[in-house]
Amino acid sequence: MDKIIELKNITKSFDGEVVLDNISLDIYDNEFLTLLGPSGCGKTTTLRLIGGFDTPDSGDVLFMGERINDLPPHKRNVNTVFQRYALFPHLNVFENVAFPLRERKTPRDELEQRVNEMLAMVALKGFEHRSVASLSGGQQQRVAIARALVGKPRVLLLDEPLAALDLKLRKDMQQELKNIQKATGITFVFVTHDQEEALSMSDTIVVMSEGRIQQIGSSQDVYNEPKNAFVADFIGESNIVDGVMLRDKVVSFSGHTFECVDGGFGPSEAVDVVVRPEDVDIVAEDAGMLRGVVTSVTFMGVHYEVIVDIGGFKWMIQTTDYVGVDERIGLYIEPDAIHIMKKSEYSGLYGDYASFSNEFDELADAESEAEE
Amino acid sequence: MKKASKIFTALMFVFLFAPIAILLLFSFNEARSLSVFSGFSLKWYKELFRDTETLKTVRNTLVLAVCAAGVSTVMGTAAAVGIDRMRSKYLRSAMDMVTNIPMINPDIITGISMMLMFVFASRLFGFANSLSFITLLIAHITFCLPYVILQVLPKLRQMDKSLPEAAMDLGCTPWGAFWKVELPEIMPAIVTGMIMAFTLSLDDFVISYFTTGTGFQTLPIRIYNMTKKTVTPDMYALATLIFFVILALLLLSNLTDSEDSQKLRAARKAKRAASGRPPRDPRKQRILYACGGSLAVVAVAAAVIFAVTETDNKPQVLNVYNWGEYISDGSEGTLDTVKAFEVWYEEEYGRPVQVNYTTFASNEDMYAKLSFDAVSYDVVIPSDYMIARMIEEDMLLPLDFDNIPNYKYIADNFHGLYYDPEDAYSVPYAYGIVGIIYNANEVDEADAGGWDLMWNDKYAGRILQFNNSRDAFGTAMYRAGLDVNTTDRSAWDAALEDLLAQRSVVRSYVQDEVYNMMESGEAAVAAYYAGDYFTMLDAEAENVDLRFYYPEPTNFYIDAMCIPTCCQNKELAEIFINFMLSEEPAIANAEYTWYASPNTLVYENEDYIDEMGEDAMAILYPDWGDFAEKYNAYAYRNLDGELLDYINSLWETLKIN
Repeated sequence: MDKIIELKNITKSFDGEVVLDNISLDIYDNEFLTLLGPSGCGKTTTLRLIGGFDTPDSGDVLFMGERINDLPPHKRNVNTVFQRYALFPHLNVFENVAFPLRERKTPRDELEQRVNEMLAMVALKGFEHRSVASLSGGQQQRVAIARALVGKPRVLLLDEPLAALDLKLRKDMQQELKNIQKATGITFVFVTHDQEEALSMSDTIVVMSEGRIQQIGSSQDVYNEPKNAFVADFIGESNIVDGVMLRDKVVSFSGHTFECVDGGFGPSEAVDVVVRPEDVDIVAEDAGMLRGVVTSVTFMGVHYEVIVDIGGFKWMIQTTDYVGVDERIGLYIEPDAIHIMKKSEYSGLYGDYASFSNEFDELADAESEAEE
Repeated sequence: MKKASKIFTALMFVFLFAPIAILLLFSFNEARSLSVFSGFSLKWYKELFRDTETLKTVRNTLVLAVCAAGVSTVMGTAAAVGIDRMRSKYLRSAMDMVTNIPMINPDIITGISMMLMFVFASRLFGFANSLSFITLLIAHITFCLPYVILQVLPKLRQMDKSLPEAAMDLGCTPWGAFWKVELPEIMPAIVTGMIMAFTLSLDDFVISYFTTGTGFQTLPIRIYNMTKKTVTPDMYALATLIFFVILALLLLSNLTDSEDSQKLRAARKAKRAASGRPPRDPRKQRILYACGGSLAVVAVAAAVIFAVTETDNKPQVLNVYNWGEYISDGSEGTLDTVKAFEVWYEEEYGRPVQVNYTTFASNEDMYAKLSFDAVSYDVVIPSDYMIARMIEEDMLLPLDFDNIPNYKYIADNFHGLYYDPEDAYSVPYAYGIVGIIYNANEVDEADAGGWDLMWNDKYAGRILQFNNSRDAFGTAMYRAGLDVNTTDRSAWDAALEDLLAQRSVVRSYVQDEVYNMMESGEAAVAAYYAGDYFTMLDAEAENVDLRFYYPEPTNFYIDAMCIPTCCQNKELAEIFINFMLSEEPAIANAEYTWYASPNTLVYENEDYIDEMGEDAMAILYPDWGDFAEKYNAYAYRNLDGELLDYINSLWETLKIN
């Protein structure tokens, strides 16, 4: 596959605040790449550098091998779907979609044909003459996508395009976007802070935090083999505990020695150990590798979320078996459920569910969205 | 509660619209009077369209408003965009404040400061006429600008900043994004701003008053200057028309903006689509509109520039500065004096001349305008005491009477008067004598005669006294046989006593209201000028029978034509004065103003005498033997400032106690 966009050692700051700190990233033709991270991590700025709305302080942006740092947006073969769609309120649906074609002086017959094709693709046939203000959020979203794609860009940039939609609609649109990407073969660069969305849609996920790329990999890579505590915590739920690598494939944590599948660490190297909540089996106390007391149980529909206190560290376990609060239980962990990470600046910051509550999480989410 | 709020709402509407309703009603009044509605008539509308001077000021006002609104909208929008794009928050709020200051500033301060600036700048660069249409336009643009910015800036701030980015993303240049996306988005605010600028410019009086130059008068200034007499009813007609035009504009702009019309347009488009035709490119339409709009603006601007430069290119321009409503102007079938002069001059001298005729409301207004040296007038028509002052201050040029042969028709009585004892600077235009007007249906004939009628307690509550110190004290001093120009303060004190004594019988102290109060019979006795008596007679109500007599001694005034030192073409000015003395215009002006003429060609003319009637002739031209002697003895003269202050303090005493 060909590299279509390369970011090389890019640094960008606003008002003295570093937003992107020496970022390098290759984007390949025909892939669905997601920039994932919490708000303020630099993902939107990265997108704007590719779109041409900002220029890097240092480093280069290459498009098909050519340096385009100073190329204005209208000369880039890249289009954007904006977070709040940015539809032109004074134009109707047809004219919004026709806008880039009129800009290029496309002949009328071709213009009509292409606009109609696009509207058909996003299932908005018959809405041509509607005012964009009269459309629902989902419909506006489709117009924005059609408008961005009608000019056949090499790369489509999507800045949290689904953030304003409700859950059900968001799921449908995720599927639809994926289908469109496959059908058109256009490279999608998708920005989101929603890890589930990222996992379900992307060929490649770029996890970002504090202006730096934490990990680049496929959905499976970043979920199963997170590089550090930040990635492990941000993507899915993780119990992250301090451990010591005794030797290859043997790790000790929480006062017990486990077999695992990882190796290549120094002798007795301190490491972060990740265990996903769904990979822990609850067994009788005597049969457990670890033992603890259940402190809370929450019914989530498909499973229960159980918080277990093990020697002062709270673990989260997702199980379909009911256990009661204050019950003493044992935990059983398979060797391949244990993932070992090198220590990083994020060690110790995440992975303890001591202060966990669903409400608290939602509150934090709402706040971070308000900041944007 | 609900009921009370309903009542208040109703009251609010009454207060808001009653004045307009009354204006509307009286614009259709057959008679001149504001107190009697004597029948439906369109005559004031007809009058209006014959009044070329007023129509010219309407045109001026519109041209000014269109230019000011156009320029300030473009500049204001550009400024708003600039402010919106400033990076620094501090700078932006500073700009907000700076642009707001002119709005909070009182008009009078803006007006004076702009005038000073223009005068200063033109002295600096050595221009002769510092005030002109251009300065007026600059002033209007200046005070309209903040309002445009105030409209556009919030709309820009509200706009989703990703809109222009989206446009650029889809292939627009930054300029293209502004024209195709940002501009349509902020267009409603721009239009609102433009309409505001237009109306502000349209009704501005104060700033225009200070910054307008020779020969360019706006409607508000003209109406203000009509206080020599009452505002004529054709102004009601004009105001009514303006009200309806603006109402129509308002309705139209609301209509085009309402959802209904959007639906209508959508339906039309759908129909077009159904009929198989491709949709029109709305951007092309919009560009078409934009082109049309800018063409119209350019056309108007070009017309204005053409009109302005045209006047400038004419070899001969004569600037005349006169009282409002003080010249026969072509209304009601009269002679259009200014036009007649232009025609006559071209026939006589083979060259065109353009007369810029502007008006003032008082001697003091005129004096202020001239003394700032910011304008140039060729002929002014001040009153006697002001002429004395202007001669003293070297503001007038001696006349070359070789150019004014018609001066010989001025009656002997009007030579050697105190204000111009050598007859070197002035040519009398009209004069008036104060008399007493009374309603014979109320006042006993036996009581009429002398000033005592104004003190007669038989008519307590029916008497009107002047509402200015000089004229009010005059009535008391003539009555008591005191010299109205005395510097002896005890004489003034004595007059005050008389005025205090009179107060119990006075209904009210009035100026222009005297017309309506006398015409309607609301009051029965008032002192006023003979000429104005005829105006009242013309509009008196059915049960009112106004009569007139001269008490003796009484006040005289004379207005005379003079040439100020700022005159640019003295010979032309003298030719104009000479023309004004010739038979036809002199008679037309005397008939128009109803004031007495010092011109023998007028008062000895048979047709004029027939037209005025014997009674009126007797009143206007009383046979008093040596006019000059009486005039010099009894007419008001200029008093020194200290004495005037003293008189005003006495006047305050009268008004306050």
